[in-house]
Amino acid sequence: MITQRGFVVTFAGVLLLTSGFSFVNFYFILLGVYLLIGLVVTLPLFALTANIAGIEVDRQIDKVKVFSGDFLRIRVTIRNISRRHFDFIEVHDQYPETWILAIGENFIASRIEPGSSIIFSYILQARMRGRYFIGPTEVIMRDRLGFHYYKRTLKAHTEVLVYPTWKDVRRMEALGKQRQLGLMFGAHRTKTVGMGSDFVGFREYVPGDEFRLIDWKTSAKRGDMVIKQFEMEKNIQVICMVDTSGSMGNGYPENTKLEYAIRAAVLLTHIGLERKDLIGTCVFSDIVHSYVPPGTRPNHMYDVLEALAGAEPRGWSDYETAISYVVQQTKKRSFFIWLTDLEESPAPLLNAMKALVANGHKAMVISPFGPWFEAPVGQFGPVEKVLSEAVSEELWERRNKIAQALARFSIPVVNVGPEDFLPTIIKTYEQAKQKGVAMF
Amino acid sequence: MRVVTWILRIASMATFAGMAYFVYSLLDSNDIWHWAAPYDFVVTVFRLLSLLLFFMTSTMINGLAAAFSGSVPNDVIVGLYNTLVLRSWYMQPYGVSDPMTNLADVWSSFQSNLASVLTALWDNTFLFLYFLFAGIGIALFLQSLVRMDHKFVGGAFLSIQSILILAAYKLLVVPNLDPFPSDFLVFLSNNVQILALISFAYLEVSYQMIYSYSVGKPIEDREETLKKQLLALRQATRKQDAIERGEKVSTTGMSRTSGATAFSFLREAIERKIVGTQDALENLDAISDVRRLQIFVDELLQTDSKAKDELTAKAASPSSVYVIGSTITGSAIRFLSVIAIAFIFLNPNVLILLLSLPPGIRYSIELLQPEIILLLLVPILLAFPFASMVITWFSRREIVETEKLTKEEKEAERQRKREFARRRKEAAKARKARAKARKRRKGLETEVDEWDKALEETYRR
Repeated sequence: MITQRGFVVTFAGVLLLTSGFSFVNFYFILLGVYLLIGLVVTLPLFALTANIAGIEVDRQIDKVKVFSGDFLRIRVTIRNISRRHFDFIEVHDQYPETWILAIGENFIASRIEPGSSIIFSYILQARMRGRYFIGPTEVIMRDRLGFHYYKRTLKAHTEVLVYPTWKDVRRMEALGKQRQLGLMFGAHRTKTVGMGSDFVGFREYVPGDEFRLIDWKTSAKRGDMVIKQFEMEKNIQVICMVDTSGSMGNGYPENTKLEYAIRAAVLLTHIGLERKDLIGTCVFSDIVHSYVPPGTRPNHMYDVLEALAGAEPRGWSDYETAISYVVQQTKKRSFFIWLTDLEESPAPLLNAMKALVANGHKAMVISPFGPWFEAPVGQFGPVEKVLSEAVSEELWERRNKIAQALARFSIPVVNVGPEDFLPTIIKTYEQAKQKGVAMF
Repeated sequence: MRVVTWILRIASMATFAGMAYFVYSLLDSNDIWHWAAPYDFVVTVFRLLSLLLFFMTSTMINGLAAAFSGSVPNDVIVGLYNTLVLRSWYMQPYGVSDPMTNLADVWSSFQSNLASVLTALWDNTFLFLYFLFAGIGIALFLQSLVRMDHKFVGGAFLSIQSILILAAYKLLVVPNLDPFPSDFLVFLSNNVQILALISFAYLEVSYQMIYSYSVGKPIEDREETLKKQLLALRQATRKQDAIERGEKVSTTGMSRTSGATAFSFLREAIERKIVGTQDALENLDAISDVRRLQIFVDELLQTDSKAKDELTAKAASPSSVYVIGSTITGSAIRFLSVIAIAFIFLNPNVLILLLSLPPGIRYSIELLQPEIILLLLVPILLAFPFASMVITWFSRREIVETEKLTKEEKEAERQRKREFARRRKEAAKARKARAKARKRRKGLETEVDEWDKALEETYRR
């Protein structure tokens, strides 16, 4: 293949030759011949030496599973396994567009001796959860004067799974540490009075109480029979239903409704696991993409992260399919937190909720309100402003109707924006703990 | 590698100077190097424009005056107007010395002067173009020394050669090798051949210089960039620490002085005014990103002793001695082969010796014409790419290498797809069943589900 530089020399050569022919001038012809011969004379030699198959590229990465925002070192080794040197070799290692090159450079240009190798590395910041591929690596080999080149694409891909961001958890932990109240700051335990070993207080004896619970000392003091009361901490079972339908992908990149829903699910799972509650996660749209049943296994968090990492906003929300799938696999009473934008027709949603309540479960809907996630109204012109307000009102009206319908099944709907999404999920969880919803 | 690049830079300067000097001296016999030529050209252009404008304004005013007054304005008015125009005219129209009193004079003056001004302009244009090309050539050559881009080298070469092409077009005495010397030594020592060779050498040496630069510079730059990035990173975190401690941070100038602006990761943070201000503390994300990067890099450099060398790709730096040696041998081979092949192509005796040409052509004047070289040039020129193509076919070259999945991976992938297809099928089936049931329910009006009723009521309201 001829390079741009080669074309310039060809052009100059042809120009001089034609000038020589036109003006019957042997100087121009001589120079034209020099250029054209100079361009091609070393070509067979270059073809012979530049056997690009003699180059091997190996890519190594420290981790194949990282959190969004984590740093990753990529090491690229280029080996010359042939017996010839390569005068000029350019290696470009490609990385996903959304990632940030933090330190170093992802390409190198140098010459390489036979049997030797070149190692270079660079540090990337993984952005946005999902399944990504690093590579392919492009190797370009040029002759010394840069007239000709051969190109080869090697080592197609290295797969990296990027989990949703962990920054919310980190921030919450940092906040807990700052207040020196530990991780459980503000938490309220779900207690069941009557069992357990933690002393709560006294109450009057009623016939039927066990004799062993009578506190004789206090009874003697009061002159009436009193019994000692104990309490026990109970855990709850929560299932987080993450809607990944196409409409959940609306909003600014990295700040879509789905991204917030995923961050909320991660936070909820983390808090739940910290308190030994059982938290399950279901990722669904028109089918159930993945379901991690509630559990406290050591790897539970990673299972949830993996399920959420691959979530892509597409399809539509089939609440009925999702609920029938999850209910089939869930025997215990659970508290379902739906993270959905409620942009599908209400009948299937109500049917799904009906099935859910009929099976003895509780539920609530945390619903990101579309217009709050999209462009701020301040950026619009007057016409767009009026239109967007009209659309917002229409949506709000629709949402109120759905909320009213769901209220009949005792399912509250909380409309959230980007600012209050995460606080709402924590609050919901705390309230569920306090009320002792879905204890097991 | 810097030394090698500098040596080649000096060689490039020398060859360019040699080429320029030869062109200058070989064209000097034509007496074209008038240093006032560019000024003359510009003045001629403006005088031509002035003539055109004077003619147009004079005609237009006369026309307008005739239209409004109903008769051609008299000589006094025309003369007065033309005097006023020429008084306020900075550049005298070509060939016009006095104000003309009527329109007919203006027209006849314009017709007689236009031809002469165009001829003068034609001559001046060529003189100007020689200087223009020389100027462009020198400017591009100077750029090529700094920017190390082949476009500047090619541009400088073409500009200088264009002077000769223009001179040939203007039928001036230009360097020529007519008749072409049949003795190789005579050919070698000829001034014209030396000019051609030195011109070719300029291209060769300049491209070698760019090669040396592009092989050595990225590694040096890489090291420099890494140093700057690490320094900027450390300064950013220190500054943040100082802000957190409540100390006063005087300026945010560190970004510019330490080269942090070249570091996109930090630059982004600085542009968003995150690093270096009190408000910055509110934006925990960006701060924690910078801090975590610092921790990551620190850990990496502590745990892996080779990490720094790998980031700078220090080992990739080529040896200077080898580059010098290979430059000399490569260039020598190219020079020798180019001279030898060109001599074979251009020498009619070689043609006669190699090809058994029919007597009609052999003794004709055609053999001495320049076009005859195409007879050998075209096939031989094409033979080189063809040979390289054949070599490429026979050598093992994989263009795209795709990673093959292992059996287990393939099986897992297949399983995953099967599972999704099953779920999709099941969901569709369930949906159908639900729709059917709903339809059936609608038929039985008496049996209206209370939940459906609730929904309907909600929507009716």
